Amino acid sequence: MSAPAPARPAPPPSSRRPDAVPSRGRGGPSPWSRTPTYVLTGGLVIIFLFPLIWAGVASVSPQAGTAQSEGWGLGNYETLVGYQAGVGRYLLNSTVVSGLVVVLTLGVSLLGGYAFARFSFPGKDLLFLLVLAILMVPYATLLIPLYVLLAQLGLQNSLVGLALVLTMFQLPFATFMMRISFEAIPAELEESALVDGCSTFGALRRVLVPAVKPGLVTVGLFAFLAAWNDFITPLVLITDSNLMPLPLAVANMRQQVMGIVDYGATQAGVTVLALPCVLLFLALQRHYVRGFMSGALKG
Amino acid sequence: MTTTPRTRRARRLVALLATGALAGLTACGSGGTAPTVSSDAGPEGVDDGTTLTLWTRAPLEAQAQLLVDAYNESHENQVELTITPNDDYVTRVGAAAGSGDLPDLFAADIVYVPNWTEAGLFADITDKIAELPEAGSINQGHLDAGTYEDQQYVLPFVLDLSVMFWNKDLYRQAGLDPEQGPTTLAEYEEQALAVQALDQEGVYGTAFGGNCGGCGVFTWFPMVWASGEQVMDEAGTESLLDGDAATEVYDTFRTLQEAGAVTPASRDETGATWVADFQEGRVGVMPYPATLLQGTSETVDVGVTPIPGVDGGASTFVGGDGIGISKDSEAPDAAWNFLSWLMSDEAQVEVLAANDVTPARTDLADNEFAQEDPRVQVINEVAGAADSRTPFAPNFQQAFNAPGSPWVTLFRNQVYGDAGTLEQDNEAITEALSQ
Amino acid sequence: MTPPSTPLPPGATTAAPAGAGDDPVTASLARRSPLAPRAGRRGGPVRPGRGRGSSSSRRRQGWLYAAPTALFVLVLFLVPLGLVLRMSVSDWSLFAGSRGINVPDNFTAAVGDRLFGPAVQFTVTYTVVTTVILIALALGLALLVQEATRWNSVVRTAVLVPSALGLASASLLFYALYSPQSGPLGPLLQRVGLADGPVSFLGTPTAALWSTVALVVWRFAGFYMLLLLVGLQGISGDVYEAASIDGAGRFRSFWHITLPLLTPSLALCTILCVTGSLLAFDQFYILTKGGPDNTTVTVVQLVYSTAFAGANDLGRAAALSILVLGALVVVNALQFKALRRKDV
Repeated sequence: MSAPAPARPAPPPSSRRPDAVPSRGRGGPSPWSRTPTYVLTGGLVIIFLFPLIWAGVASVSPQAGTAQSEGWGLGNYETLVGYQAGVGRYLLNSTVVSGLVVVLTLGVSLLGGYAFARFSFPGKDLLFLLVLAILMVPYATLLIPLYVLLAQLGLQNSLVGLALVLTMFQLPFATFMMRISFEAIPAELEESALVDGCSTFGALRRVLVPAVKPGLVTVGLFAFLAAWNDFITPLVLITDSNLMPLPLAVANMRQQVMGIVDYGATQAGVTVLALPCVLLFLALQRHYVRGFMSGALKG
Repeated sequence: MTTTPRTRRARRLVALLATGALAGLTACGSGGTAPTVSSDAGPEGVDDGTTLTLWTRAPLEAQAQLLVDAYNESHENQVELTITPNDDYVTRVGAAAGSGDLPDLFAADIVYVPNWTEAGLFADITDKIAELPEAGSINQGHLDAGTYEDQQYVLPFVLDLSVMFWNKDLYRQAGLDPEQGPTTLAEYEEQALAVQALDQEGVYGTAFGGNCGGCGVFTWFPMVWASGEQVMDEAGTESLLDGDAATEVYDTFRTLQEAGAVTPASRDETGATWVADFQEGRVGVMPYPATLLQGTSETVDVGVTPIPGVDGGASTFVGGDGIGISKDSEAPDAAWNFLSWLMSDEAQVEVLAANDVTPARTDLADNEFAQEDPRVQVINEVAGAADSRTPFAPNFQQAFNAPGSPWVTLFRNQVYGDAGTLEQDNEAITEALSQ
Repeated sequence: MTPPSTPLPPGATTAAPAGAGDDPVTASLARRSPLAPRAGRRGGPVRPGRGRGSSSSRRRQGWLYAAPTALFVLVLFLVPLGLVLRMSVSDWSLFAGSRGINVPDNFTAAVGDRLFGPAVQFTVTYTVVTTVILIALALGLALLVQEATRWNSVVRTAVLVPSALGLASASLLFYALYSPQSGPLGPLLQRVGLADGPVSFLGTPTAALWSTVALVVWRFAGFYMLLLLVGLQGISGDVYEAASIDGAGRFRSFWHITLPLLTPSLALCTILCVTGSLLAFDQFYILTKGGPDNTTVTVVQLVYSTAFAGANDLGRAAALSILVLGALVVVNALQFKALRRKDV
């Protein structure tokens, strides 16, 4: 995931029509002219959902060379549950790391977004550019120095260290998102709060946080998805198999024996990995989309 | 932007922090001295309840788990096992080596071992090996791979050999003798074509890892060795893969490919699933990892014979993993206790041989378990055969095993592409070896 | 999530009661208008002198709020980046650490690598193909589903769901999907009669490229569609009204109104897509391993394999990373320039 880059603010959007579709009269088209559109979009829905549904179905269907070789059932999930420390342990690790990353990302980007949107201080533009520059470095390159660095800080091989690194990789998107969310709020809102005797922090807490909530939801969701799914970072930074997050365990399980990929276990693993993400995404979709809208993303 | 004293101070602080951190970072290179196993610990090391860490790669997980469980049950010391996906093992070991974080013990694919001993990742155990009562019978190929400047660093952990497997059911259907596998390269070709001639849906004569350098090394090198030729010079810096026997091997596979007798999946097989088709009973005959005998026998009636050369002979690639004590171990005496136990009859026979893994000692080839299954005897015997080898080269990985190595380019050209490029492709391997 | 019960200040979004099939984009928009109180400045620093505190205290507070970000950037980004720079000028092996200065050998060796040329070429090809397809598809989708109907919200959700998967998970999923053993696509194509014999999705250079592009398009199309939808919603309906009164047809109003006004959003998508594609790694690492015949090696994969597979030469890998970083800075600077010129 990468973050947009800032540029000059666009002019404020004026009134919008939710169904701003050009050149169609208000009379409404005949149902016949719509059929091709329905066929096309219907096809797209099928194409986009097919891989996910297939993975779920394949994980419980019979396949030669997997734990579920005959009949339908949960054999592949049993492989998953019984693998080394057990799937519960890996899920817990993933949950802890993702939770930490979400909290850290929200905290840092909320304060940072506020600072970038509402204050001017020396070095502001440079710092913002540096945050965006995180996107431009191949992250595989940074992992070795980060490994060494975490060892110096006494955080190697710990979920906290992993969460700190993943948070850093989330900052470009999160900071940008929070900055535009704050910028979309009229300045008067904060000024009136300040006149009423709030400190800047008070204004942030009472007035601004509720106003940027959609942005926070978007940032939090992205942080969760990134942390939950990351594979290479824990691979290098975590050396204790009891601290492995789930994606790493699934990748391990994929190649149990020389020359055999257990596709059934892979599909079960992908399903377990994807399910929380998809459910969370569907639950938060409305807020998440609004987070994008509230900033009315300026190019 | 105006500069106030405050921001100047802040800037200085930032600069100081950055340089300080950098200086600190570089303070930990691979300095420090490697641990030594003390000589008064005795040949068996120390068993005092130390917790030891052991790393290995996913393909050997089953065997490693068996060994660790058996050791933990009978010793005060407790070993904790960490598994890493095969393709990411080097990444992890490299990262840990750089920051002095290696575990007490770690196993390594035997073809990496020369490179890693040279880099000083292992502790010197020359004197301790000499003290072992069974020192004389330990697999020489693995010991040689772990020897650097006359010092020994590595013992065999798990042996993985390549042999020829064939599917007896398909042989019966094809009118071949189900008890007689190929004894020359030409017979291998004939038998694969005979199975192909059955013309059954989804059934093929043979299969191989067509985009997998490691598979090619593991299964084709023995064909060259069994023909009495070499794949590299002694020092492992020059490739000889343009020799007569090697050319015969390429021709065989090219013929099979053009006859349509190779599974279609072989062409882009990166080694993840290269034996799957055989396991599902859809392949007639192919060179195969011996460790999988047990698992494959559950689904297929398997026949086993050594990998032959052009006119007969028998050879195997003595692969698998070596194991040593790391340079960062804080309990080398306790770690040695595990290694000395690993070489004992108990570990080699009761744990490894009992699970159809070839013992790493030649004097145990004819153990009680081998006597029950003649196929296991075939495997154990070829491990010590005259033409069996563990190839030695410091840059083995780059030249052969790495995805897209010059070796992969060479054999893909020989089988699928323009066979006229043999000379220059072989030159490219030499270049990678001698870097 | 329940909407907050506290009365919100004007201009803030309020959550709507969730109705089934309620479409997020339009629902949020409908409730956001009118944005009348926006007469004043939006965003931008608060003018000092209003409220409390002098400008210097506001500066200090700004720094305080930015401090956590600065700390993260300094410790976890700048310091490691400094080390990468140091590595790039040192003879630095993965196992043995630094063995002294090594300039400019790292850079010449990196550029002289036998895979460097093909990797650069492939990365550029892949970037162009991916960007063109993704942006075109996202734009088409955004135009198709911008009207608020129940069906369209179903389509949007379906297209967006894949973006909930991580790239690594998605790659693992497609790895199984493309496999000759368990994948459903080959048999499907054979049944329809589009293929005779087994299909190899990753076996030829062309197939491997397109298979990976398909995965990336599947994973990211929804995200870019969303960005473009936001841009489309920002175009006022009045403009279209005026255009249709002037008798502009559908195509002309798309060409002369939608596209120019959408330029900032399109540019944003392009920058994101180009940067992401030039740094492509996960999908190739899991799906193709750079095969067949090194035709799908990307530059970042080359960095990775130089560091961890075989050569174990961190110095050379770091030098290559620095080159990539430089190229990206140049590419993005050019894109910004183009964007600023067009930004109305």
